[in-house]
Amino acid sequence: MENKVILLVEDNARDEALTLRALKKSNIVNDVIVARDGVEALDYLFGTGAHAGRDLGVMPQMILLDLKLPKVDGLQVLQKIRADERTKRLPVVIFTSSSEEEDLIKSYNLGANSYVRKPVDFEQFLEATRQLGLYWLVLNQVAPND
Amino acid sequence: MGARLVVASHWVLHKDEQGKPRAILEINNDITERKQMEDRLTRLATAVEQSGDSIIITDPAGNIQYVNPAFEQTTGYSSAEVIGQNPRILKGGQASPEYYKHLWETITRGEQWQGHFTNRKRDGTLFEGEVTISPVRDGAGKIVSYVAVERDVTERRRAEAEVRRLNEELEQRVVERTAQLEAANKELEAFSYSVSHDLRAPLRHINGFSQALLEDYADKLDEAGKGYLQEVRSASQEMAQLIDDLLQLARVTRSEMRSEVVNLSELAHAVVAALQAREPERTVTIKIEEGLVTHGDKRLLQVLLGNLLGNAWKFTAKRAQAEISFGQERQDGQSVFYVRDNGAGFDMAYVNKLFGAFQRLHSPREFEGTGIGLATVQRITNRHGGHVWAEGKIQEGATFFFSFANFKEAEDGEQSDLTRGR
Repeated sequence: MENKVILLVEDNARDEALTLRALKKSNIVNDVIVARDGVEALDYLFGTGAHAGRDLGVMPQMILLDLKLPKVDGLQVLQKIRADERTKRLPVVIFTSSSEEEDLIKSYNLGANSYVRKPVDFEQFLEATRQLGLYWLVLNQVAPND
Repeated sequence: MGARLVVASHWVLHKDEQGKPRAILEINNDITERKQMEDRLTRLATAVEQSGDSIIITDPAGNIQYVNPAFEQTTGYSSAEVIGQNPRILKGGQASPEYYKHLWETITRGEQWQGHFTNRKRDGTLFEGEVTISPVRDGAGKIVSYVAVERDVTERRRAEAEVRRLNEELEQRVVERTAQLEAANKELEAFSYSVSHDLRAPLRHINGFSQALLEDYADKLDEAGKGYLQEVRSASQEMAQLIDDLLQLARVTRSEMRSEVVNLSELAHAVVAALQAREPERTVTIKIEEGLVTHGDKRLLQVLLGNLLGNAWKFTAKRAQAEISFGQERQDGQSVFYVRDNGAGFDMAYVNKLFGAFQRLHSPREFEGTGIGLATVQRITNRHGGHVWAEGKIQEGATFFFSFANFKEAEDGEQSDLTRGR
């Protein structure tokens, strides 16, 4: 089985811990790359900075993208992903705290595939994570690499 | 009796060579018509003399032949000073040569000219006049004089200018106030945005790590310890709900209004379906009057019905035969909507507290809630120019009425309001 990588873009350590816990509890065993800000996320995707020289043949099967991030925020990351030939077809799930209308509209305008608000209650959080994994890693088919 | 005549009599005495009177000749001329003509002229002359508007009569060359007392009063020139002069002595020097050229071309063609002058009085001050100049022709059609009637509109113009200035000032003030409001709104939006993002995260962590404790350290916790952790989790959830409700209240206040025809019955059905889906075990008799429409912002009205029907749903939870109805009735000649239930009701003594934010008439032990829902409902009706009020009795149920006074009912003039709403 090929290695389906998840890219988790999350600046908050507690959210990171809870998300990883939820993924594990949902029996999602894929490798999870964690980027702690927008720059790190872009470095991973384009093989720059700390990720210089990585095999760009491996692209995430799902990107969980928080909106409020240091340096380069989530919407800017999304914009860069959609603007680049190598990444424009990657499934991006906005996974964030707010459900402010402007966030939803901007996200979809920039080409987000999905928008999920992180539930406060952990059982619901777990359920959301499980369903995301089931849908984007199992059911959904990604576009083939050029 | 015959008609009365006005006659002019001339008596002529005829004498013979010696100078002795021989005969008296009486010549009577019927001057009735002339007398009538004179009377008419007197009347017209009086009208001209008494007129409040300045009247100037000139010869065909434009030299003043006559001015009335109003002219003297307005301009400060006496009749003697201006007779034989050209009216250009009044020129305020503001109109272009083309303006006068057009005037002369019009009246020498034999047409009436109407216009506006800024004229100069004898003392040098300026006044504004609205002028009509008409040519006067003789029997042969030749222009023999011009009559100019000029009304002093200085005061009126000044008043008009003042009104314009006040209007502009008011507009300027509206612009400034709007900018202030927009800035305040922006601030509120930024605040809401930050609350929405940053306040929920810690709650999620409290909840999540409490759950982690419950799961990973279950063997180290007795029942009381587990119970405490459950309380921590519930508290975090309640606070999250509170934040969401507050954000909605803020959104209801600041969001832009769109007016369209909204089918409230359809919205009510959707709300009830969602409530039923969340608690499928409950049996509630729902009566929704069909075809109830109003004008308003659909999303806000959805929030309104969501709150009222949600309340009715919540407060009938302990009824074996819960009933909720949504309909319309007439009160004092006005049609009002209502949401009625046979639930826990409330004490009318506290009806004033009902719509205040954070006011609750039931303890969380009885019914959960944040106390923001009805405040939100009231803001929504306010924003629609309407209002909301309630009737209730403890243990017998509650009815919430709402109306949108300033929104025309859809039946009359749906067409025009539809186009206005877009």
